[in-house]
Amino acid sequence: MFGKKKEQSEAEDLEIIDLDEESGGAGKVLIEFKDVCKKYVQGEHEFYALKDANLTINEGEMVVILGPSGAGKSTLLNLLGGMDSASSGHILFDGDDLTEYTDNRLTKYRAENVGVVFQFYNLIPTLTAYENVALMKDIKNGTSDPAEALADVGLADHMHQFPSQMSGGEQQRTSIARAIAKNPRLLLCDEPTGALDTETGRDVLKLLQDMSRKKKRTVVMVTHNSFFADIADTVIRVKNGGIQSVVHNDEPKDASEVTW
Amino acid sequence: MLFRKMRRDLMKNKTQFISIFLMSFLGMLVFVGMDSESAGAGAAAAAYYKQYNLCDIWIAGAGFSDDDIRTAKKVSGVTDVEKRLVLTGTAEKYDNAYMYVNFMDTNRINSLMLYDGVPYEAEADGVWLEEWFARTNGIKIGDTFTVKIDSTKIDATVKGIVDAPDYVYFVSESDVMYPNYKKTGLAFMSSSMFPDSAHIVYNQLLVDVRDGLDDDAHISSIKEKLEKAFDREDIAVTDRNQNLSYATFDAEVKQHSAMGIMFAVVFLAIALLGIVTTMARVTAGQRTQIGTMKALGFSKTTITLHYISYGFVISAMGCITGAWVGYATMPPWILGMFTGSYLVPDLKGKITTLDITATLIAIAVATLVSFLSCRKELKDPPAITLKPPAPKKIRHSGLEKSRLWLCLDFATQWNIRDVLRNKMRSLMGILGVMGCAMLLICGFGCFDSINGLMGKMYGELMTASNKILLSADAGSGYAYDLSEKYRGQLIMETSVEFVSEKAKKSGTATIIDKGNFVHIQDRDLNPVKLDKGGIAMTNKMATLLELDEGDFVKWHLVGDDKWQYTRIAQIYRDPSIQGITMYRSVFEDMEYKFRPTAVLTNMSVDPSLSDADEVSTVMNVADMKASFAETMEMMNAMVYIMVVAAVLLGVVVLYNLGVLSFVEKTREVATLKVLGFNSGRIRNILQKQNIWLTVIGIAVGLYAGWAMLYVICTTVSETLDMYPIISGPTYAYSILGTFLVSVSVNFMFSGKVRTIDMVDALKGVE
Repeated sequence: MFGKKKEQSEAEDLEIIDLDEESGGAGKVLIEFKDVCKKYVQGEHEFYALKDANLTINEGEMVVILGPSGAGKSTLLNLLGGMDSASSGHILFDGDDLTEYTDNRLTKYRAENVGVVFQFYNLIPTLTAYENVALMKDIKNGTSDPAEALADVGLADHMHQFPSQMSGGEQQRTSIARAIAKNPRLLLCDEPTGALDTETGRDVLKLLQDMSRKKKRTVVMVTHNSFFADIADTVIRVKNGGIQSVVHNDEPKDASEVTW
Repeated sequence: MLFRKMRRDLMKNKTQFISIFLMSFLGMLVFVGMDSESAGAGAAAAAYYKQYNLCDIWIAGAGFSDDDIRTAKKVSGVTDVEKRLVLTGTAEKYDNAYMYVNFMDTNRINSLMLYDGVPYEAEADGVWLEEWFARTNGIKIGDTFTVKIDSTKIDATVKGIVDAPDYVYFVSESDVMYPNYKKTGLAFMSSSMFPDSAHIVYNQLLVDVRDGLDDDAHISSIKEKLEKAFDREDIAVTDRNQNLSYATFDAEVKQHSAMGIMFAVVFLAIALLGIVTTMARVTAGQRTQIGTMKALGFSKTTITLHYISYGFVISAMGCITGAWVGYATMPPWILGMFTGSYLVPDLKGKITTLDITATLIAIAVATLVSFLSCRKELKDPPAITLKPPAPKKIRHSGLEKSRLWLCLDFATQWNIRDVLRNKMRSLMGILGVMGCAMLLICGFGCFDSINGLMGKMYGELMTASNKILLSADAGSGYAYDLSEKYRGQLIMETSVEFVSEKAKKSGTATIIDKGNFVHIQDRDLNPVKLDKGGIAMTNKMATLLELDEGDFVKWHLVGDDKWQYTRIAQIYRDPSIQGITMYRSVFEDMEYKFRPTAVLTNMSVDPSLSDADEVSTVMNVADMKASFAETMEMMNAMVYIMVVAAVLLGVVVLYNLGVLSFVEKTREVATLKVLGFNSGRIRNILQKQNIWLTVIGIAVGLYAGWAMLYVICTTVSETLDMYPIISGPTYAYSILGTFLVSVSVNFMFSGKVRTIDMVDALKGVE
């Protein structure tokens, strides 16, 4: 976020590669960004975390958003998840314009359609793994059984542990279980392996890829690790607040094959 | 699930929530305790007055007959009138107890409440005695009771043990201001028992007015009509508010309720401060969790409700249990002490709507306060809340820019910055210390003031060691002889009624003869000489009448129809007797006869003297002081409450504060440790700040304590003119006590410095 100001001029050099919408997506269009800007004003300074972003994401895709620190990828993710609002432009989700939503409508959108996996897991420390997942029942009808969701991520034996009693990988898997328990149409992951070692990270990636491949969920993952580009159906590269390129992978690698 | 989260969060921050619980508990305990006590006492008295038909208007004077009853009955609004003869006498067999003897016919007004024996009947033989007096003196139904009125003895069989609604509080001449119902009794007899019943002359008319007319405006209009109907200068028409028994009890009840509110406000204010700081810290600490919940799709309302439920649950638990415990314990305790002072049956606590409203309001305010403190974390979109908060904008204070700053050592600089940047926390610390010091000063100050009062009454204003009270049948000759024999000073104390444009009050006139045992002091308590040619009025009486030196006051002796219009030559202060003082010569110039009622002397008095018919009692200073101290039990109870409250308050607030600031400072302290500061030095730094705040808190608390004591002293009663006195030892104990509480609580926390694990504390912030 802090490196933004000095590189303002480079925004114009963006090279747009392969924006052809028809060539990539397997399913129908789930998300569409139209000239989306996110502007921050601090006193007299203003800067764009995201400027004139245009992109589409198809249902069931595994999308990786790649970019260095401060490029605007987290902003992109926040806007996708309805966790922040755009300064201008339109964000369409299944045809509905998120930018026109009220706060309450946006909350409902998050509750019903979006699952989030955070870099630092963000579990509620005073609740057990099971309870953290069961929490979702409070906000959405028709969530999966917490025990099943936890079994899906391989945590059937650790259900009643508190976050502080679990390893990082286990916590992240709990966090994924919490996200998928809602059966969201969109699963957003913010550097999900950022705090994990390679081995555990690979397990988590595998889990996410399975979500997309087997359960046909749309998974959007933000990372600065370019090795992950190999496993995605679509790779969106972000730089200096703009979309640098969108590349479709015809034959994505299996998550278990990735090393970094 | 959120409920489980709340439960576990409460457990995790239990010290702070326990302190909030305790503060709201104590606040409501004191408030509801005192309020239900005063409400219960008020309600018990009201029920008693209603059931036994307490008189609405008294007409005092001499020589009332049945004609007068007819005159009074003709006044519209008056439903019933009865006549009585009230005399004072002594019961020699019972330690010369002072007796109010009531001769009456029918007993429809001020009816007697029967404990034992047979109900009173007109024309019946026998005597009905007051219950406390009978019980403590071991008098039983069927005993023969002898009362001496002047020189006449009346023997009667005890027929009943009773209480009367017009005598819930009464004192004898010799009780300074607190009643002693073992030595002061009530006797009720039929007029037919009066020795010369054919020529009985009644001195009181009891007037009952129609029900529903008993509000002040109606009563005073009826009073005016009665005064007109009688058109006599020698009668006094008074209502309940001017009646000693009714007014004293009423004032006592009101005072308790005022004290209760004062205490409760202090506690609840601090409980709320505790909630603000604690909730602000809890929500700030859970910022990421709040962000997560928002991102997961929890609505603002759900999250808000979740966090305000912390404040709600704790304060509701505290307030409700506090209210309940207060109601269950305080009324029995305080009303238990009442029983020696006020003869009201069925004294018990009563929950009022105010108690319930206050409890609900306290809970509501606590909930609101927790809402306000978590609102900050809720207003941003989740993307912002998920990130750690932006560092506080810190500006350099003026002090930090000045050159002086550079001369300060690191600890001072660090602490000044810490205090300035955590103003709320520092303020709360100061307030906690202040409350502690204030209550201690006020509590011990009450003792000082009472001691000061006694010292003044029996050491400076009245310097005789014995007071011989003469009975009504002692002639002047006897008094002079006695005075000569004991080298004493004669004084006359008599009841007086004062009238100014603003008020009508009754008080005492003290007329002094030659001698040197009676002294007066001016408003600033400097000894002054009594004006030789005029009258001096007490400060309290002058204040009540809204008069000052140089003004004129209208007054007359009770039972004498001659009114005086006299200039107040001097204002003096007297702690316990309100009215006027003058020299005998001034009194005689007004063409009154000087009839001594007591002899003051410094010589030892033969105990057998009190057996003489002409002497009613001999009191020595030690007796007077002891009986006075004994009757200050109620005040002592207040003091205990205050001292216990002070220490609790100090410990709870400072402990809470300690937890708060310690958690907040953990990282800073760990950094200092990494930099090579040893634990001892860090502890000194932390303790230093605590000492500053404590010193400020004590300084403010001393003043606040004095103010609170002043309020208590000036409102304590109409007849007491107490001066707030705070002695050296009180200052010392209060300051040391507060310091001890503050420093030892802080010591517990600074002791934890050693246990902070540098690595753990400095590991990444999530």
